[in-house]
Amino acid sequence: MKSGVRFILWTAVALLGALALATIALHRGEQINALWLVAAAVCTYALGYRFYSGFIAAKVLALDPQRATPAERLDNGRDFLPTNKWVVFGHHFAAIAGPGPLVGPVLAAQFGYLPGTLWILVGAVFGGCVQDFVILLFSVRRDGKSLTEMAKAEIGRVGGIVAYASVISILVILLAVCALIVVNALKQSPWGTFTIAMTIPIAFLMGVYLRRMRPGRVLETSAIGFVLVLAAIWGGQWVSQTQAIAKYFTMAAPALAIALIVYGFAASALPVWLLLAPRDYLSTFVKLGTIGLLALGIVVMHPALHMPALTKFIDGTGPVFAGKVFPFAFITVACGAISGFHSLISSGTTPKLIRRETEIRLVGYGAMVAESMVAIMATVAACVLEPGTYFAINSPAGIAGQLPEKAASTISAWGFPVTAAGMQALAQSVGEQTLFNRTGGAPAFAVGMAHIFSSSLGGQAVMALWYHFALMFEALFILTVLDAGTRVGRFMVQDTLGHAWKPLGRTSWYPSVLATSGLIVFAWGYFLWQGVRDPLGGINSLWPLFGIANQLLATVALCVATSIIVKTHRAKYMLVTLAPLAWLVAVTFAASWHKIFDPDPRIGFLAQARKLALSGGSSRLIFNNRLDAVVTGALIVMVGLILLESLRQWFGILSGKKAAQTKESPFVLTRLAKEQV
Amino acid sequence: MKFLRLIRAVLRELFDEAAYERFCIRSGFGVGPESYAKFINENASSTRSKLRCC
Repeated sequence: MKSGVRFILWTAVALLGALALATIALHRGEQINALWLVAAAVCTYALGYRFYSGFIAAKVLALDPQRATPAERLDNGRDFLPTNKWVVFGHHFAAIAGPGPLVGPVLAAQFGYLPGTLWILVGAVFGGCVQDFVILLFSVRRDGKSLTEMAKAEIGRVGGIVAYASVISILVILLAVCALIVVNALKQSPWGTFTIAMTIPIAFLMGVYLRRMRPGRVLETSAIGFVLVLAAIWGGQWVSQTQAIAKYFTMAAPALAIALIVYGFAASALPVWLLLAPRDYLSTFVKLGTIGLLALGIVVMHPALHMPALTKFIDGTGPVFAGKVFPFAFITVACGAISGFHSLISSGTTPKLIRRETEIRLVGYGAMVAESMVAIMATVAACVLEPGTYFAINSPAGIAGQLPEKAASTISAWGFPVTAAGMQALAQSVGEQTLFNRTGGAPAFAVGMAHIFSSSLGGQAVMALWYHFALMFEALFILTVLDAGTRVGRFMVQDTLGHAWKPLGRTSWYPSVLATSGLIVFAWGYFLWQGVRDPLGGINSLWPLFGIANQLLATVALCVATSIIVKTHRAKYMLVTLAPLAWLVAVTFAASWHKIFDPDPRIGFLAQARKLALSGGSSRLIFNNRLDAVVTGALIVMVGLILLESLRQWFGILSGKKAAQTKESPFVLTRLAKEQV
Repeated sequence: MKFLRLIRAVLRELFDEAAYERFCIRSGFGVGPESYAKFINENASSTRSKLRCC
C-alpha cells in the first residue's frame, strides 16, 4: 500500500477512535450504543498494535528474524517445536483467556461503564500487552526459561524466591476466588448445578472414548462432548421442573463448596487422560465458539447501554465491593488490562513453540489485545442490564437485605429503581428461583449475555436456555482453571518438597501425590470456605485480594523486564516497562494499604476484625479477617523486597558501579529456509 | 481455502491431534489405543506447565 493511502487510513482510524472515546467519556444522562465501546476498543488496539508494538519490536527488543529460537535449536518434537505463528497465537490465547476478563469487568461496572472501559484500553495497550510481549521475548532469548528462573538470574536470589512465593500465593487465592464464583452462581440453582455436574461424567466419557475407541480424534470427541453438554443444559430445565429430582440438585453454598473441594482433590489426583485433558479440550471448544458468538451478537444486535458512565459508587460505598474507584477499579479489572498471571504463560509453554522472533509481536502483544477485547464484551454484557437489575443480582444480602422486597427498596433508594416483582419475573424467565444476591459476576454476565442473544435468536422463549448456556460456559472455564491450577500447584509443591526429601518430589509416587494434592486443595479450600461463610458475600474480600496478588505478580514480571532493558539499553527505553510498573506499584500498594488499615470495616480487614470483636462476632470470622490482612501484608513485603533489589541494581548499572550482564543465550544463526522466515 | 486450511491446522494443534500424529511418526507406532496411552503418558509431564489463566 502506498504511504499516502496508509497515512490517510491510519489518520481515519485515529479520528474514529478519538470520536468513539469522546462519545463514551462525555455522554452524561443518556444511553449510548455498545458499538461506541467496540469502535473505541478496535481503533485503540489497532493503533497500539501498529505503532506502539512496532516501536517496541524495532527499537526496544530489536526482534531479529535471523536469530534461531529455542524451538529451532532445541527442537525435540514435544515441548520445543517450531510452530506456525497462528497456531501459537491460538495456543497462547486459549491459555490466557479464562474467566478473569469476563468477571472483573462485570464487577467493576458498579462504578459505571467508563472507569473499567478506559482502564481496559489504556492498561492493555501500555501495560498488559507490553508485559506479555517483552516477557515472551526475554524467555525466548533464554531458552524458554520461566519467570522465576529469569527473576533469579536477572535480579538475584531474592527475586527468584519472591517470584516463586508470589506464584504459589496467587495460585491459591485465584483457585479460591474461582471456586467462590461457581458456588455463588450455582447455589439454589438445580438447573445450573445439574448442567455443571453432568460435565464430569461427560468428561469421563470423552476420556474413555478418546483412549479406547477413537484414539487421537480429539476434535471429534470434543464436538460429541459439546453436543452432550447442550443436551445437559436442555435436560437441566426438566430437572429443575421435576421436584423429586430437583431437590438433589438444589444446594446451599456450603454444600457446593464441599463438593468443589472434593472435586478439586479428585481432579488433581486422577490420571490426566480421564478428567483433566478431556475437560480442557471441551472448555477450549466452548470458549472459542462462545467468544466468537458473543462478539457477533454484540455487533449484530448493537444493544444500548443502560448503566450510566459513572455511578455514585466511585466514592467507595459500592455494594458489589467496597472501595473508591482509585485504586479498586484497577485491581478489580486485571486480566483484561494487565495480569501478572500471563507472564507465567509467556514464560511457560509459548516461548518453546515460537518459530521466529518476529512472530512474538503477534503472539505476545496480539493475543493480549484479543483478551482485552473479551473484557470489553463483558463490560457490554454487564452494562446492557438495567442498573437496578445489575445491583440486585450483585449486591450481597448483608448489604441490600435478605428479603426481595427489602433488597428492592434498598437498591431503589440508591437511585437505581428495581422491583421485587420485576426481579421475580426475570428470575422465572431464566429458570431460576431468585436472582437476588447472586454475587460473583457470573450470573450478571449470564443474564446480560442471554439478553443479547435472546434478542436475536429465539426471543424471550429461549432466554432461560441462553442464560444456562452462559452459566455453563463460565463454570466450565472456571473448573478448567481449578483442575489445571490445582495440578500445577501440586507439582510446584512437590518440586519444593523434593529438595527436602526426594520421594516427595516424585510425581508418580502416590502418597506424595495425595499429600501434596491435599495440601493445595486445603489451602484454596480454606479461603473458599471463608468466602462462603462471609456475611458480606466473600467476593468483597477475596476478589480484591486476588486482584492485588495478580497485579503484584505483574509488578515482579515488570521488574524483571525493566532490569533486562536497563542492562541492554541503560535508561534509554526503560520507561516502556517502568511506566506500567510505577502505575501498578501505586495501585497495588494503595489497595493493600486500604485492605489492611482502612477504618471502614467493609474495606479494611483489621477494621472488620475489630468490629466483629466488639459486637461479639464469631472468632473464626475475626481470625479470617486478620489472616487476610497478614496475607496481603506478606505479599506487599515480598514485592517490596524485589522492588528494592531491582532499584539497587538499576542504580548500580546506570551509575556505572555495576557491570550490565544479562543471561541471554548466545546468538545462533537460523538454519530454517528463507521462505520460512 | 488457505484460510480454512490454517483454521484446521490451528484447531488440530489446539486439540493435540497434530502432536499425536507427530508422536506416532517419531516413535514408529501406528494409531491405536496403545500408542495413544503412550502419547498421553509422555504428554503428562508437559501438562505440568499447561497453566490456564484466570
